[in-house]
Parts: sequence; structure tokens; C-alpha cells
Amino acid sequence: MLYRETGDFKSNYAADQQTFPIKSERYLFWAAMAFAFLVVPFFINDYWEKSVIVPLLVWAMAALGLNILTGYCGQVSLGTGGFMAVGAYACYKLMTGFPDLNIFFVVILSGGVTALVGMLFGLPSLRIKGFYLAVATLAAQFFLVWLFNKVPWFYNYSASGQITAPERTIFGIAVTGATAPPWATYLFCLAMVFIFAWIARNLTRGQLGRSWMAIRDMDIAAEIIGVQPMKAKISAFAVSSFYIGAAGALYFSVWLGAAEPTEAFGIDKSFLVLFMVIIGGLGSILGSFLGAAFLTLMPVLLKNVMVGGLGWPTDLAAHIEIMLVGGLIVFFLIVEPHGLAQLWRLAKEKLRLWPFPY
Amino acid sequence: MNQHIDPGSLRADDGIERGGMLLHVDNISLSFGGVKAIADISFDIKKGEIRAIIGPNGAGKTSMLNVINGFYHPQEGTITFRGEKRRHMRPHRAASQGIARTFQNIALFKGMSTLDNIMTGRMTLMRSNILAQALWFGPAQKEELAHRETVEKIIDFLEIEHIRKTPVGRLPYGLQKRVELGRALAADPALLLLDEPMAGMNLEEKEDMSRFVLDVNQQFGTTIALIEHDMGVVMDLSDRVVVLDYGRKIGDGSPDEVRNNQDVIDAYLGVSHD
Ligand SMILES: Nc1ncnc2c1ncn2[C@@H]1O[C@H](COP(=O)(O)OP(=O)(O)OP(=O)(O)O)[C@@H](O)[C@H]1O
Ligand SMILES: [Mg+2]
Repeated sequence: MLYRETGDFKSNYAADQQTFPIKSERYLFWAAMAFAFLVVPFFINDYWEKSVIVPLLVWAMAALGLNILTGYCGQVSLGTGGFMAVGAYACYKLMTGFPDLNIFFVVILSGGVTALVGMLFGLPSLRIKGFYLAVATLAAQFFLVWLFNKVPWFYNYSASGQITAPERTIFGIAVTGATAPPWATYLFCLAMVFIFAWIARNLTRGQLGRSWMAIRDMDIAAEIIGVQPMKAKISAFAVSSFYIGAAGALYFSVWLGAAEPTEAFGIDKSFLVLFMVIIGGLGSILGSFLGAAFLTLMPVLLKNVMVGGLGWPTDLAAHIEIMLVGGLIVFFLIVEPHGLAQLWRLAKEKLRLWPFPY
Repeated sequence: MNQHIDPGSLRADDGIERGGMLLHVDNISLSFGGVKAIADISFDIKKGEIRAIIGPNGAGKTSMLNVINGFYHPQEGTITFRGEKRRHMRPHRAASQGIARTFQNIALFKGMSTLDNIMTGRMTLMRSNILAQALWFGPAQKEELAHRETVEKIIDFLEIEHIRKTPVGRLPYGLQKRVELGRALAADPALLLLDEPMAGMNLEEKEDMSRFVLDVNQQFGTTIALIEHDMGVVMDLSDRVVVLDYGRKIGDGSPDEVRNNQDVIDAYLGVSHD
């Protein structure tokens, strides 16, 4: 049998709180991780790295961040692109300002800087909600992109206005810069995302996560039972922005290698990550990954089939892709607000009962 | 018996004896624009008692609870809780001082499970910082498990083991009311405010709920302020009753005294005011 729960009783609360309480699921997870860490690095090539897997990991990191804010804490944000820019520019300034600082810490610190900026832009959430908050974060998006275009200090006065990532190594192996081998950039991103997904899981299953969800579900009742709205909302903005900033740092330094604010961090990125979270599942760690995977892989697949396979023109394929994504958003918002993650749960329930529904 | 519900309470004991004054409400007046919801009301709640607050619709009962837990700020008057006098207070401060409540219209966190809802009730008692929570293993998990144990006792007590993992939005009304009581109990409250806990229930559910309220009071010694429309329930459960009508206090005393009070009878029979 593939999947079973019967007879898998929990003898204590610690076992009950595990991320994968069901044994077969736990084995499956660790097998997948072993494959990702130990097998994939031997086969990954430049195309898979730059067009598929590293993008997937970067977007998963950003989706985790937005899901914490929107899915768990119920605060809508359209500023994701802008916050990714903060992470990217913090990363650039740190890399060029402190050449000896390990890239791992550079990414963490970039997340930290973005967390501070996110807290600042989260302050309006103490007063306004929903649509009005969305507009306020939209203003943050445009302001930040404008700022990085306008103030030359951020791009070290370079003539092109671009930022370019110098080579940085971990254990002597380059993970940024033109010569970084695909397996190294992949492993670096994978390790980062693995660690921070685990931290996101921990934060959302504990008291902080419950305070976020309480604010999301009913903020007045939350305050009456002892949740401090300010602490809950601002911490959600901080943690969320940390993830988005770290994603921006990886996006710029590992994936793109060079970036220019309007192009790389536009409002379309804010929407892309929001769509990932909606399609994947609001308030779900797994959903962040499913959404990121779906919206990263689908265009690649469609392009290969429509342009590569059927020989259609590229712009037609791009339009069809946009229509498909739009349709899916509407579908998920109306039919399944909990997204792919919920579909996965339902499928598991079916599997669990199959072939003997009782 | 209180340590049963709360093995690790960090809330200091107030040293008030059973039967001593837990809460004083002094000359509270509250109005919304032109509407006077509460007019110069004073009463007290003694430690360990069940204090009913009754009155016709719109009498100001819910507003009174909202004043007590800091959600409404009265224009006049003071609240003295555990010997500490105050006028303005944020609700989460009142919560951390030990005032918990349920709501007339259920105010659960719909997307969260029964277990998570009740765990949220322990918000003010949990201390792990964000770094400990991020790492989970170690202090955060230890704290989580200790509180989980208390919460499981509440779940057993309220006989809701079977819905532990169910999102509360999917539960029937009667069970939601019970979960909401659980969430309030989880705070290990010094004063528990119940706003019509039995409203909209059938007879059997009402009997269950009455039993829980009585057990909470007797087993854990929790002081309770209870708003209820069902006179039978009020007479059975409460030690003392305060009667409100049009924002004024028209009666205060034991259930028997109140029942025989002419003003109260008039208010309930709808005798016109002049
Ligand atoms: N937030 C508010 N804004 C305006 N008026 C309010 C507000 N809260 C209460 N009131 C008014 O105050 C008065 C008392 O209301 P309250 O809800 O306290 O009555 P109640 O005794 O709980 O009634 P019920 O038995 O119907 O629950 C009513 O006239 C009500 O309209
Ligand atoms: Mg009321």
C-alpha cells in the first residue's frame, strides 16, 4: 500500500506536532530531499539551472515571504517587487562594500535590511486594511523602484545604472559571478530555501504563527484575548520582508548576475508572487512551493510545446500563457481558495482510503 | 484546583480571598453619540462567585462587558480590578491581567483548528521569543508542549476531543460556543466574562453548557460574570444578579430578591417608562 494512516497512532504530543506526522509521507519527503541534494547536482546543466530550478527556488523563497504576510496574517501586499529590490540592492552594497563578507551572510543581512524597510512600510497596516493597504503597498513598490533608479549611491554611480554581482565563493567554490558552476549555485539556493522553509514552518506552527492567523481571522477578537495587533502585524511584515529580501538578493546575485530596477523588480513581479501564493494556497508552506513551481514550470513547458513542438510564434504562446494564468487565478479564487495545497490534501485523503473507502 | 488547568502560570496570585472584592465598577457612564448605553452604573463582583447580568435587549449588558475588558472606554467612572484602579486600557492589557471572555456572536478564528483556537487563548502566558520559535527545537517546543498539555485538559473537560483538528468554521453552532469557552478558559482567567453562552442552543446543549459553567466555577474556582436571557438558567447558576434596563441599574441582589423586585418585574413585563 502506498499510503496509510491506520494504526499510526500518536503516543505523545511531540509526535503529533511533527511536520509530517505520517510515516510514509516523512520517508517520501526525505527521499525527495536526498535526491535534490545528492543526485540533482550531478546532472544539472546550465539550461536547467538558469531557466528552471534556480528561478523556482528564488520564487519559492519570495512566495514563502508573501504567504506569511498575506496567507497567514491576512495583510495584502503589492510591494513584493519593491522589497525584492531592497534585498538586491542591500546585497549589492554589502558585496561591494565588504568584499570579504561571506555571501551566505550577505544574503541573510540583505534579508535583515529588507525586514527593517518592511516594518516601516507595514506601519500603515495598523490603521488601514484590505484594499487601502494594498494601495499603500503599491505606493511602496513604485517609491522603492523610483528610489533605486534615482539615487546613484545605490548602484555605486555606475554609468549604466545597473548593478552587477562580483564573484563570491563558499568553501572556495564560486556561487555568484559568471564562472559559478550550475551545481554550486543550485546547491546554494537549495540550502537557503531549505533552511528558511523549515524556519517558516516553525514560526507558523508556534505562538507567533497563531497570533498572525488570529489577526487574519478576526482582529478584534484577537486583541481581546491578548494578541497585540501591532506586534503581530509588524512582526509579520518583518519576517515576510526578510524572506522577500533574501529572495531578491539571490535573484540578483545568483540567478541574474546583473539587474536594473525597473526591469527586474517591476510591479509584474509583485503580481507574479501574489499569483503564486493564491494558486499554491494561502496560509500553506507547501502551497508556496507548489505555486512557485507551477508558475515557473508552466511557461517553460508551454513554450517548449507551443513554440518548440508546434512551431507557433513566440508572442502567441506568451498571450496564451497570460490567458491561462488569468483563468487559473479566477478558478482558484472562486473554486478553491486554498489552492493547490488543498487539492493535494484532498488527493491524499482519497489515496488514504483507496482502495477500501470506509 | 486552579493549578490543574494551569501548571505553569506566570500570573502572580492576587492574594484576594474567596468572597473578597475582585472587581469594582464605579459610576460608569458610556454613550455613543446621542445614545446613552450605560448611565452611572456601579456594582461589584466577588471572587469565586457567578454574577449574572440580566436585562431586556439593548439594556447595555454587552456594553458593560466591553467596558470591563477595555474594549469600550467609558466617558465617566472607574474600574477597579484586583485592587488596581483604571479608566482606559487596551483589551490585550486586560487579557494579560486575567480577564477572558466569550462573545454574544461567536468570535472564533474560523480558519484555525479547535486546538489552535484554544492554544491561542494561552497567548498571554507564553514567552518564547521569535528566535527560539524559529529554531523550534529546545525552549520553544518545550513551552509549546507544556501548554499543549493544559489545553488538552481543557479539551477533555469540554468533551471536544473528536474535533481537536477540525477547522472551527466547519463546526455546528453549539460546538463553536463550546470551543469559544475553551479558548477563554485557556487563558487561566481570574475573571471570566460570558456573553450569552447559551443563546440559540437547544435544551440539551443548554444543559451541557450550564454544567460546564458550573463546573468551571466550582472545580477551578473561577469567578464568572454571566449574561443570560434564560431566567431558569440564571436562577439556577448565579450567586448574585445585577439587572440593567435602558442603561440603568434597576436591581441588584440574590436571584430571589431580584425576582421579587417590582422594577425588575415591570421592566420584563414591558411596563412603560415615565
Ligand atoms: N459600538 C456601538 N455603537 C453604537 N451604539 C452601540 C454600540 N454598542 C452598543 N450600542 C448601543 O448601546 C445600547 C446597549 O447595547 P448592548 O449591546 O450593550 O445591549 P445588550 O444589553 O447586550 O442587548 P442584547 O440583549 O440585545 O444583547 C444599544 O442601544 C446599542 O444600540
Ligand atoms: Mg448583548
